[in-house]
Amino acid sequence: MITLFSVDWYLISIIFFIGLYCMLVSRNMFKQLLGLQIMSKACVLAIILCGAATNNVNLSQAIAITMILMEVIAVLAGLGLILKAWKITGCPDLVKLSKLKG
Amino acid sequence: MMTSLLAYLLIPLSSAVIIQFLKKNDKLADIVSNVSLFAGLLNISYLIFNPQNVRFSFASIADNGFSLIMVLAIYLIAFCVSLFSSGFIPRTKNKHNFYSLLLTGVAAMCGVVISLDFFTLYIYAEALAIVSLAMICYEDNERGAEGAVKYFFLTLPGSVFILTGISILLFTAGTFNFLNLQSIANSGPMSTANMVAVAFLCIGFLIKAGIVPFHTWLIDAYQGAYSPVSAFLGGIATKVSGAYAIIKIVMIFKLFESTAGRISEALMLLGAITIIWGAIAAIRQKNFKRMLAFSSISQTGYIVLASGLGTPLAVLGAIFHLFNQATFKGTLFLNSASIEKSAGTTNMHKLANLENSMPWTTWTSIIALLAAAGLPPLSGFWSKLVIVLALWEEGAKGYAFLSLFFMLVTFAHFAIIQKKIFFGKKAADGEKSREMPVFMLLPVVLLSMIIILAGIFFPHVYSFLMQAVTRNML
Repeated sequence: MITLFSVDWYLISIIFFIGLYCMLVSRNMFKQLLGLQIMSKACVLAIILCGAATNNVNLSQAIAITMILMEVIAVLAGLGLILKAWKITGCPDLVKLSKLKG
Repeated sequence: MMTSLLAYLLIPLSSAVIIQFLKKNDKLADIVSNVSLFAGLLNISYLIFNPQNVRFSFASIADNGFSLIMVLAIYLIAFCVSLFSSGFIPRTKNKHNFYSLLLTGVAAMCGVVISLDFFTLYIYAEALAIVSLAMICYEDNERGAEGAVKYFFLTLPGSVFILTGISILLFTAGTFNFLNLQSIANSGPMSTANMVAVAFLCIGFLIKAGIVPFHTWLIDAYQGAYSPVSAFLGGIATKVSGAYAIIKIVMIFKLFESTAGRISEALMLLGAITIIWGAIAAIRQKNFKRMLAFSSISQTGYIVLASGLGTPLAVLGAIFHLFNQATFKGTLFLNSASIEKSAGTTNMHKLANLENSMPWTTWTSIIALLAAAGLPPLSGFWSKLVIVLALWEEGAKGYAFLSLFFMLVTFAHFAIIQKKIFFGKKAADGEKSREMPVFMLLPVVLLSMIIILAGIFFPHVYSFLMQAVTRNML
């Protein structure tokens, strides 16, 4: 049981850092959003895993479903925002947005 | 009978829905938004100042004094922003959408301050982030879009860290309810795994508060946002989603006396770096709103420094500074919006001598600036004094000297603003500026009166806050 848990935890960390890497290296806003989503998926998996390991599946299930809902809302808001920025600047490049300076 | 604070969440939410049906009638939308927020403000003030409640030390109210004072701050700033924007936003701009978002934001913030576990707090903080996102790009231009994109991509990773912390807490403690966690923290020294969870939570909330390594989003979001929205964000929204949660974590886990001293030291170090960085960067800014954003970062540094210390006196200072910062940053950002509307720019080199043309704006700004710098009779002085005294008492004399020194630096750069914007020779853009109508001056006058009164009646405020802190930390 314990060994399985550690293997799962290892895989979850890999997913988390794939998302973090995606957010750090890409300049495209859509890729950034994908990276953010991959990171939050790793968190959902972590919560389900922690609930299963402590025999508390009911609580973790409820949390996971609420989190999926929150993520959908965040994705919708983010996509709308990216489309707005794209319409204004003409490309989905994050670095092109640099009008605000002191 | 126990009084619950849930109504403060539900009433603005239902008003936000009602306003969507008033598309044709902007006047009615104005009235609904202002009246529902003003009623809430009166109600919470009655709850706090009612002598019967004071005598029984708020035993009949389900939540503690900390939530009460935060709800008061939320309603105060939201009412001021709403009243200000009823004069500020032109008819053609879909006003009802703005009010709807503002009221939803108020509901989300009340949810944050009355929630009793970390997951609920996270949900409401996320809702608040999405509402703020929509409000930042309310104006259809490049500045707003840029601010909102930066806000989205630099604060949402914070939520991921919070969630990681929650999942580790679920594994190590089996719960994330505040009361259960408090009893675990009281029962003995904290385990390393719990400390890792607390560290993850702290990182997430520090990102949301805009503490120095993670501060880049905050400046662009404040500068790019539609002007009344910067007052809403700078006054209360980022403080509730970031600094409030940090103070709450410190209260629950009692970081200063358990083995988790390392987290407490890290918080204090980050707070000190934030104070220095914000104050020094603010001196170099040319734009008024950008400068206010940097000074807001620096003031949040004081809150994090004090909550990192974690003694009851320091936490009291942090809470009072949170409230004060809401009032004076609200005043300053609202005044920067008036200046932008009437003079057409917020560039400090193009503005001068607003003293003659906009006397009310000038003098309320000066009261707020002096309070932020910590001049004695005003409220900002007392909160900073309490923080410095708490630092001195615990032997952190270096940090105490640093806070005192950077109070002077803050004073210096506020003196620069006063000289450049409000006094001095006449400039081309200052000529055509005109004083705002009375509806837009009322909120700033109200806020500056509260700054003065909270300073004069500090002994009462102190006893109220001490009650709240001891009830929370026992």
